[in-house]
Amino acid sequence: MGRWKWIVAATGITAALALAAGGALAADDVIKIGAAQPITGRFAFAGVSINAGLQDYINYANENGLVKGKKLVYIYEDTGYDTDKAVATFKKIMAKETPVIMYGDSTGLGKAIAPELNSRYKVLYGSTSFSSELADPKTHPYSFISGPTYSDQFGILLEYIAKNHKGKGKPKVAFFYSDTEFGKDPIPYARNRAKELGIDVVSEIVAKAGAVDVTTEVLALKKTQPDFCIFQGLVVAPIPQVIRTARDYGLKTTFMGTFWSMDTSIIDKLGADAEGYMGVSPYAYYYENAPGIQSMRKYNEKVNPKEKSRPTYYIQGWFTGMVYVEAINKVLAAKKPVTGDNLKDAIGKIRDWDTGGMTGKVTFVNNKAAVGRVYRANVAKGIFEPVSDWIYVK
Amino acid sequence: MRIGDFKETYAADEAIFRTPAVRVWMGALGAAMLVFPFVAGDYLLYLANLIGVMIIGALGLNILTGFTGQISLGHAAFVGVGSYAAAIGATRLGLPFYLCIPLGGAVACVAGTVIGVPSLRVKGLYLAIATLAAQVILEWVFSNWDSVTGGIRGINVPPATVSGVPLDTDFRVYFLIYAVAAAFTYFARNLFRTRVGRAFIAIRDRDISAELMGINLFRYKILSFMVSSFYAGVAGAVWVYFAKVVTPEYFPLSLSIQFLAIVIVGGLGSIQGTILGAIFMTLVPELLKAGTEAVKPFFPDAMSYLFPLRDILFGAMIVGFLIFEPHGLAEMWQRVKRYFALWPFRS
Repeated sequence: MGRWKWIVAATGITAALALAAGGALAADDVIKIGAAQPITGRFAFAGVSINAGLQDYINYANENGLVKGKKLVYIYEDTGYDTDKAVATFKKIMAKETPVIMYGDSTGLGKAIAPELNSRYKVLYGSTSFSSELADPKTHPYSFISGPTYSDQFGILLEYIAKNHKGKGKPKVAFFYSDTEFGKDPIPYARNRAKELGIDVVSEIVAKAGAVDVTTEVLALKKTQPDFCIFQGLVVAPIPQVIRTARDYGLKTTFMGTFWSMDTSIIDKLGADAEGYMGVSPYAYYYENAPGIQSMRKYNEKVNPKEKSRPTYYIQGWFTGMVYVEAINKVLAAKKPVTGDNLKDAIGKIRDWDTGGMTGKVTFVNNKAAVGRVYRANVAKGIFEPVSDWIYVK
Repeated sequence: MRIGDFKETYAADEAIFRTPAVRVWMGALGAAMLVFPFVAGDYLLYLANLIGVMIIGALGLNILTGFTGQISLGHAAFVGVGSYAAAIGATRLGLPFYLCIPLGGAVACVAGTVIGVPSLRVKGLYLAIATLAAQVILEWVFSNWDSVTGGIRGINVPPATVSGVPLDTDFRVYFLIYAVAAAFTYFARNLFRTRVGRAFIAIRDRDISAELMGINLFRYKILSFMVSSFYAGVAGAVWVYFAKVVTPEYFPLSLSIQFLAIVIVGGLGSIQGTILGAIFMTLVPELLKAGTEAVKPFFPDAMSYLFPLRDILFGAMIVGFLIFEPHGLAEMWQRVKRYFALWPFRS
C-alpha cells in the first residue's frame, strides 16, 4: 500500500469511529442499557446466547414500542469472563455511556462491584448469576436475579421429590456438586430444606468440574443407593460419565440438574443415558407453545432466519430484557424519572406478572422471582418435557 | 548534547540516578503520576491501579526468578495468602491498613519460606513442579478452610481509612497503591546494590561457583523466596484494599502464569522491565479490545470470531517477543534510549 492509501484508510477509520461515537441520540428519549458480557472465555458457551437474547429482546421492544416514547439503547462489551476485566468493562461503560441499567457476566463481578454500585453508581444490575448471595437486598440492593436462585431451584426439585416419591419410606437424595462457588452455593439451604420436607440426604459428593474418571464417586453413590441425585455446579462433564457409570453398576437413581445443566444440548451429549434425566428450569423452552415463546420465535424467524433453535441461555437473556422493560414501564407509569433507584424499587413491586408463559407468574421478593418447573428428557425427540406445573417457593 | 559521562568514584558508578538528565526525567515521571489521577477517568484509574498491584507482585517474582534464577509457579498463591491475611487482619482483628499490609507480607513470607525449602534440592523444571504443588494446595485451602477464609464466598473488606477519610474510590486508593509500589520499587532497585542482591545474581549465574565463592546457597535461596513472597503478600494486601473483596477465584494458576509472563516479556532480571511488563500485559489486551469494539459496528455478525481473535493476537505478540527480543521490553527501551542519546547526529 502506498502512503496515500494509508492516509485515506486512516482518515476513513477515524471518521467511522467519530460517527460511531457521535451517533448517540438525544439524551431524553433514550434509555441506555449497558452489559459486560462473557462472549469469550470459559463461559462463552452461554454468554454468546445470553447476549443475543438480551439484545434481541431490546430490539424487539423498540420495534414494537413496548416502552412508550423512549428508545432503548443496548451497549455491550466482552469481558472474557475474567473478574478484573469485567470490573474494568463495567467502569468503562459507566464512564462512557452512563446507562441506568447494567448487566454483568458473573457472580464475581456482582460481588466486586457491589460497594461502588451501592455508593456511587446506583444503577439497576441484572446478571447471569443465580447466586443466593446476590439476592440479599441488604448487601446488594441494586441487584436482581433473573428467576430463582440456585437455592430456590433446589427447593423446587426437593418439593417435587417430596410430592412425587412413590417408593417405601423417606425419599433418599444425594447432592453431587463441584468444589466452586457455583457448586456450593445452595447446599446449606438444600440440607435444611430436605430435612423440613422429610427427605433423607444420604450422601454429598464433591467432584471437580470436567473430571474424567468418576468411579470413586459413583461407588460412593452405590453404597447409599439414593432415589435421586441432584447435580450442581457442573455444566456438562462429568455428568455423562457419572450417569453412564451409575447405569453400568445397576443404579436405579434418577439424576437431576439445575439451570446450566438443563439445556437441550445435554440430551445429545448423554445419548441413550438421557432417559429419565430430569431437572428444574426457570423458563419455558424455545420449542414450547406459550404465547411469549411464540412471539420470540416469530421475531427470530424474522431477524435471524438461520437460527432454528435457541438454547435456554438465550431465553435467560430475553427474560432479563423483559424484566428491564417491565421495571422501566412501572417507573414511567408512576411518572418518575428513570433512575437506578426508581428501577430497583419498581422491580421490588412486581407482583403476579404475566410473562406470556415464559415462566410462571413472576413476583419479585428479595431481588428474585422464585419460580421454576420440573422437566424430564424425551430422548426420542431430543427435548425436555414438563412434568410439573410451575412451582413457587419462598 | 551529552558528550561524555565520567564517573570518578565507585559510589557515582553505582548511583541509582546517574545523570542529571535521569533525575529530571524521574522528576517529570513522578509529577505526571501525581497529576494523572486528577485528569483520568474511572476506567483509566482502575487500569492504573490494576497495573500498580501487578507491579508490586511481579517485582517479587522477578527477584526470585529473574535475579535468583528460581522459577516459581506458585506466586499467585502467595499473593492470595497476603490477601487473606490482610483481609482477616482488617475484619476480625480490626487492624488499620498500615498494619494489615505488612501483616499480609509477613504471613506470605512465612508461607514462601516453607515452600522455598525444597529449592535447595530441586532446580529448574523440578522446582516449577514443587511450587505448582504450593499453588494447588493453597488454592484448596482458600476455598475449603471456611472458618478462616470464608470459603468460596470469601471475605468482604472495608476500605482503608487515612485519618477518617475512607479510600473507597479508585482515585483515593491510587495514592495508596502507588505509594507502596514506589517504595517497593526503590527497595528492589537498591537490593541489587547490596551483598545480598549480588549473592542472588551469583546464584542465578552459576550456583556451584557461587557456593565456591562462599555464598551460603541454602540461606540465600531461602532469603530470595522470603523477599519474593513478602512482595507477593504485600501485593495481595494492597489488592484487598483495592478490590474490597477476596475470594479464592482471584488467585488461580493462570495468575501465576501471568506474573511469569510479565517478568519474561518485561525482561528477566530488570526492575524497569518488570514495570514495563506489567503495563504491557494489562494495557495491550485492553487496547486490542478497544480495537475490536471499534470495528464491531461494521461486522455485527462476526462477534464470536472477532473477540477471540484478540487473544490470538495477544498470544502472537508474546511469542514474537520471545523470538525477536528475548531480553524483553527493558532491552527495547534501552535501545530506544541509546538511539535518542545521539539523535539527530547519528541514526
